[in-house]
Amino acid sequence: MGIIEGLSSGFLQAVSLDVFPFLFAGAVFGLLIGVIPGLSGHFAMAMIIPFLYSMEPAPGIAFLLGAHSTVAQGGGLTAIFFSTPGTGQNAATLFDGPPMRDKGLGAMAAGAALTACFLGATFGAVALALLLPGLQRIVLFFGPPEIFVLALLALTFVAVLGKEDIIRSLIAALAGLLLAMIGLDNVTNQERFTFGLIELRDGLELVPVILGLFAVAEMFELWVKGGSLTGTQTKILSAKETQKQIFQGVAEAFKHWWLVVRCSSIGAAMGLIPGLGSAPAAFVAYGHAKQSSKSPEEFGKGNIEGVIGSEAANDAVEGGALASTIAFGVPGSSSMAILLGALFILGQETGPIMLTQHVDVIFVMLFTIIIGNLIGMIGGMFLVNPLSRAVGVRASILVPVLLVIVFTGAFAVQRSLFDIGVALFFGIVGYLMNQLGYSRAALLIGFVLGFTVEKNLYLAVQLSGTDFIFDPIPLTLATITLLFLAYNVWTIIRDRRQAKTTRSEQQE
Amino acid sequence: MGRTRLTGRVAAICLMSALTMFCLAACERADTNKEPKTGVAAFYDGRHIRWIIPYSPGGGYDEYARLISPYLEKYTGARVDIYNMPGAGGLRGTNELIGAPKTGLTIGSLNGSAMVVNELAGMRGADYKISEFVFLGRIVSDTRVLVVSLDSGYETFEEIWQAGEEVKIGATGLGGSTYVDAVIANVAFDLQLNVIHGFDSSSVLRQAMLRGDIIGSWGSWGSAQDAVDEGRHKIVLQSGVERMADLADVPTAFEMVEKTADPEYTRAILTAWESLHAVGRPVAVPPGTPPDRVQFLREAFAKALHDPELLAKAQASGRPISYASGEEMTKLVINATQLPDDIKQAFIGAVKGEL
Repeated sequence: MGIIEGLSSGFLQAVSLDVFPFLFAGAVFGLLIGVIPGLSGHFAMAMIIPFLYSMEPAPGIAFLLGAHSTVAQGGGLTAIFFSTPGTGQNAATLFDGPPMRDKGLGAMAAGAALTACFLGATFGAVALALLLPGLQRIVLFFGPPEIFVLALLALTFVAVLGKEDIIRSLIAALAGLLLAMIGLDNVTNQERFTFGLIELRDGLELVPVILGLFAVAEMFELWVKGGSLTGTQTKILSAKETQKQIFQGVAEAFKHWWLVVRCSSIGAAMGLIPGLGSAPAAFVAYGHAKQSSKSPEEFGKGNIEGVIGSEAANDAVEGGALASTIAFGVPGSSSMAILLGALFILGQETGPIMLTQHVDVIFVMLFTIIIGNLIGMIGGMFLVNPLSRAVGVRASILVPVLLVIVFTGAFAVQRSLFDIGVALFFGIVGYLMNQLGYSRAALLIGFVLGFTVEKNLYLAVQLSGTDFIFDPIPLTLATITLLFLAYNVWTIIRDRRQAKTTRSEQQE
Repeated sequence: MGRTRLTGRVAAICLMSALTMFCLAACERADTNKEPKTGVAAFYDGRHIRWIIPYSPGGGYDEYARLISPYLEKYTGARVDIYNMPGAGGLRGTNELIGAPKTGLTIGSLNGSAMVVNELAGMRGADYKISEFVFLGRIVSDTRVLVVSLDSGYETFEEIWQAGEEVKIGATGLGGSTYVDAVIANVAFDLQLNVIHGFDSSSVLRQAMLRGDIIGSWGSWGSAQDAVDEGRHKIVLQSGVERMADLADVPTAFEMVEKTADPEYTRAILTAWESLHAVGRPVAVPPGTPPDRVQFLREAFAKALHDPELLAKAQASGRPISYASGEEMTKLVINATQLPDDIKQAFIGAVKGEL
């Protein structure tokens, strides 16, 4: 089957009456799951798996991927309105989403986030479609040496995120690396820092850690402070004004199309690499948005570019992550591992067979991602008004309700009571870090990438000795990493010097 | 006005739900009226059985359970709920099973071969022995295969045998099944292969084979199948004494015995290895479950796994079934855990990475 033929057949299948209702149901389901803190795409997919046994391939895929594709959109809304990431990959939205809400621009941020997600997903899907002919060769570029250097490059983005206080950011990032070491070591099969608990043997689960660091910590803060999430300075907007803001947000996302394209490329590229996952992609995109912005000092204080950048990368990841799954049946993330299992249940084979004989199935997936995100974007807009009202509820009511939801989310990932404890513990850690000015994002990046860096370094050295760094791709990437780091260190020194001279001038 | 409308709506909802419940109750009654059940069958009729899967949805263990559960429902009269409980390499789900109420309403899949290996090596974390479980039967035994990539240039096991140290084969973590297989095969055939361990999963191993980082790896026949069908990999050796029907042109490990320097020792190692694979993937209930319920479940499990419809589905989805009864399972487990001392030492060394 040719690509054009597959494209048209895939599109017709995706919008046909047999498939579209499932796509729609999946997309709405995913959106709602995303709004609930802690329940991620991986959870939504696991819930759908039992239905697949009696389904045809196309509706099954649309149902499953539809749910998966809108989760980040729902999660973005929760991040903006409740300072609580709906899913792990929305953590980067927390920098500028909630500050916008505090300025009374929550609905605008939501509109921009929903649109950025849609545009990012579309970009990711189109990128994957364009890569299809050479897909297998591209995926094979990434082995342990390349992944190691890329993860290292992603780690250096800590320098951009924590420019304001580089020492504290480094401490946080290194603490994150240390947390990543918890659990069974892949190489020696030895337990590290598990204190004999079998719950810690697989390491700390990502979702409870993120929920603790950001959501629970935020609830503590609100509880201590009292009042409501919006504080006292803003009044609740009328439905009409909210609507106006949403459309302004949509327009903003389109206005920043170049930023969307760049951040989507980062997302799609990082999705392509098995094992990097979508949480770091959003952070790296955020770092890039900050680096390239005309007004980087406004980042973290409610700059819409920060919201657009991270949300665009969020959903562009999916296109990339699908690539390695389709090309070789090598899943790039836990969600993709579930998708692979689902494809097997539906009687589909990945790899060359799918690439040559079932191109239409690939396009069903791509159109599901695009259409699903469109549904998510429109459906999400209807959620903005009620959510923005809930924000005004006072803390003594909102905190207990949200905490119940957050802890349920932490439990649901693995049905583990232990994970509730993890969320609580990291809630306290997150609260203290925030009070003392340590970057939680830096800790998270260290935590997410630490294991990837360690494992791939070991494999790379085992396979080809320490010389692997002189192979063309790793060498190029390593050079970029060093240049990037050097540039950032230089700007930090320059800024400090400038600050010093202005201060001494002021003193004179 | 608004209030009356609301009351009306509530009343309507109540009425509808009452009607639905009535219908459901009627259906259920009609169902039970058909064939009155007595004894254990009456106990299970309409109850819920919780089937613990110690791995995530979408994986092999999960797929088997979801394939079989409708037939288990058919022969027990109970509803079967699949309960995924991944974590700690299957240990979390297994611990949950041993601690579950001994009512016969909780059953669980076990990674039998891995449990035996961990027990031999004295791994911490499990506070029970595999032989303590009461087995309902085995879904499938493990057949392990050595897969090589077609681009590697190696086409037969003999070629790899002669190749020596520079040949790298991959494995997951130290002590994982792909690692144990690789090391045991090295010991049995006096191979000098360089075993690179630390890969995440069988899918990452596949990627490494495609890239040419390693020439091949050991794995289960189930996960190797797809890659072989795609025409990128080749199976050069299978575990076991006799060739599987699906792998009629691939030699077994036992066929190679006479070519080794010390056939007797090789045979002993391979026999122990094979007893491990025979444990495979059993389904069990916690010890202390009432014997009459165990008996009932065993019979239902046997009937389910012999249902022609299930066998056809299993065949079509590439999930082979090799049933063994609960009683046979108990023997197989004893066989696998009580190895001769020198062989046992070799295994412990392999699992702990001392070889």
